[in-house]
Amino acid sequence: MEKTVLIPTDFSIASLNIVKNYLNEQPAHVRLNIILLHGLHQTDSITGLLFYSKSRLLQDLVSKEFNEGCDVLKNKYASKIRSMRKDVFSGFTQAAFNQYVEANRVDEACVPILYNPKFKNNSSFDLMPYVKASNLHIESTGSGIDVPMPERGKVAELFFNRVPVS
Amino acid sequence: MKMKIQIKTTLILLTAFLSIIILFSGFVYLSVSNYSYEDFYKLLEIRAVTAAKVELDKEGSSKELIALRNEFFEKLPQEKDHYFRIDPGYSFKKESEELGLPLSFFNEVIQDGKSEYNKNSMFYKGIRYKSKQGEYVVIASAQNYFELHHSAYLRRTLFFAIIAAFLFSALIALYFSRYVFRPLHKITNRVKEIGSENLHLRLDNNMNNDELNDLTRTFNNMLDRIETSFETQNNFISNASHELRTPLTAIIGEADVSLSKIRTIDEYIETIKVILDEAETLDRKTKALLFLAQTGFNGKNQRFDQLRIDQLLWDVKETIEKINTDSRIHIDMSLLPENPVKLKVKGNEQLLHLALSNIISNACKYSNNKIVHVSIGASDQNVFVIVKDHGIGIPDNELKYIYDPFFRASNTLKYEGYGIGLPLTRNIIRLHNGEILVSSIVGQGTTVQINLPVGQTD
Repeated sequence: MEKTVLIPTDFSIASLNIVKNYLNEQPAHVRLNIILLHGLHQTDSITGLLFYSKSRLLQDLVSKEFNEGCDVLKNKYASKIRSMRKDVFSGFTQAAFNQYVEANRVDEACVPILYNPKFKNNSSFDLMPYVKASNLHIESTGSGIDVPMPERGKVAELFFNRVPVS
Repeated sequence: MKMKIQIKTTLILLTAFLSIIILFSGFVYLSVSNYSYEDFYKLLEIRAVTAAKVELDKEGSSKELIALRNEFFEKLPQEKDHYFRIDPGYSFKKESEELGLPLSFFNEVIQDGKSEYNKNSMFYKGIRYKSKQGEYVVIASAQNYFELHHSAYLRRTLFFAIIAAFLFSALIALYFSRYVFRPLHKITNRVKEIGSENLHLRLDNNMNNDELNDLTRTFNNMLDRIETSFETQNNFISNASHELRTPLTAIIGEADVSLSKIRTIDEYIETIKVILDEAETLDRKTKALLFLAQTGFNGKNQRFDQLRIDQLLWDVKETIEKINTDSRIHIDMSLLPENPVKLKVKGNEQLLHLALSNIISNACKYSNNKIVHVSIGASDQNVFVIVKDHGIGIPDNELKYIYDPFFRASNTLKYEGYGIGLPLTRNIIRLHNGEILVSSIVGQGTTVQINLPVGQTD
């Protein structure tokens, strides 16, 4: 069975934990296309459009740690993940979002229970209202409490979520 | 030839200024004199026409014309008018000799209707005029006033202007090069002052955000690093001697006391035990120091093999549990990659074993044997080993000193140790081109992340 899942992200390691949890909950035979979607209002100036490059944009937004974290997940769930890509959504309306969902054949969305995204970029915006208002099937995952961790922002953060403290 | 950049800049600027000025004044001189020639010929033409009208035609209105001519026409220097009647077949050979004009001048007048000629600042303008009596060649001649006075004046003015501009631009160029290179001189002088005995001195940072400020900042950063390593070096020696002296003092003291009088056998045994203990500590310390020194150099005599990190971790866990039976180590394999090849690392097993057991045993020690989580994961470039404890943590402001030999954080007083483990570990990880990241919250715990590059699969 193949599925495309959309996961809103702020390109922090914490948001990768959602991906990890989601992957954990999936049955073994599922093959997943994962879209890590980031909301970003983009410039509409002529020079900005002239020199527009999505890969450069993503390069600026995404940290090295995040990419490494993605690789770790891809290696761990090599048989479950068919593809994993990062994308930017720049629409303003619900219709635009629905369009995006349809165009990318998204089957479901996965959102964290506790969600307080921290954006590096000023023009980033929260995708959650769009996800909630669309008619996508929504999975919720992650823990409801935020514990301070020394390893925040490092790849290490990916390894210790939901570790039972005994 | 070696020339100072400052002088070079001055000269370049000066040449640029000078060439512009000379070009400019040459252009002005040429265009002005050209214009004055044309203007003067026009003037002569008007004179010739009026003269012809007055002298040859003698019309009814010529009285007013004469009055007008006398009143408004300023007499030009050596102004003269000549009239020659044109008869068919007549050549102006005699007239041309008389006036000192070439014959072609007359021919041109007859053919084209007008001609111009100048010789020794005398200007001639000839026109062909058709009067009632017949056709005439009318020649007006005069000395060009401009050529005599104005042009010399213009030349003089331009010459002085060039000299003035040269002096002025020389001043500007000099000042400019001084201005540009002054901060560089300052930096050079300041850097000269800094030696090993006053490494705390820094370059002054002016607040503009220019290139020189960048240079200053880079210099200062470099000085920071140098100073730190200097201090580390100094601390290392004093710390090392102190660390080595402590057990020696204990041994000497113990031996001294027991030798002061005859004692029982039990007491001797006790004393020798203490001495042995301290000697062993000393041995451990020197061994650790030796290791630190060895790993500090580039690994020449270390063999690097392909080895699997997960295997190594199990070995390390076993070793630590043998030494410290209370330790609780949980190896978390939840992010282990499906492809085991990605866990292979090129490295020296003994050294990596030492490094990892150092980190993990530290985690156990400083968390009073609370559970320690060890995780493994791999991206395409790195293998990650992450050790997380729930121990006492490291104070924020001491985090940057943890790799200094013999440094121990302020909250570790009740734990045994002498602060060689972590620098040693870092040396080993560096030897493997890896990275070690330590993050900590006091009272919550410490997380150590070790990134080791994946070994080439060949």
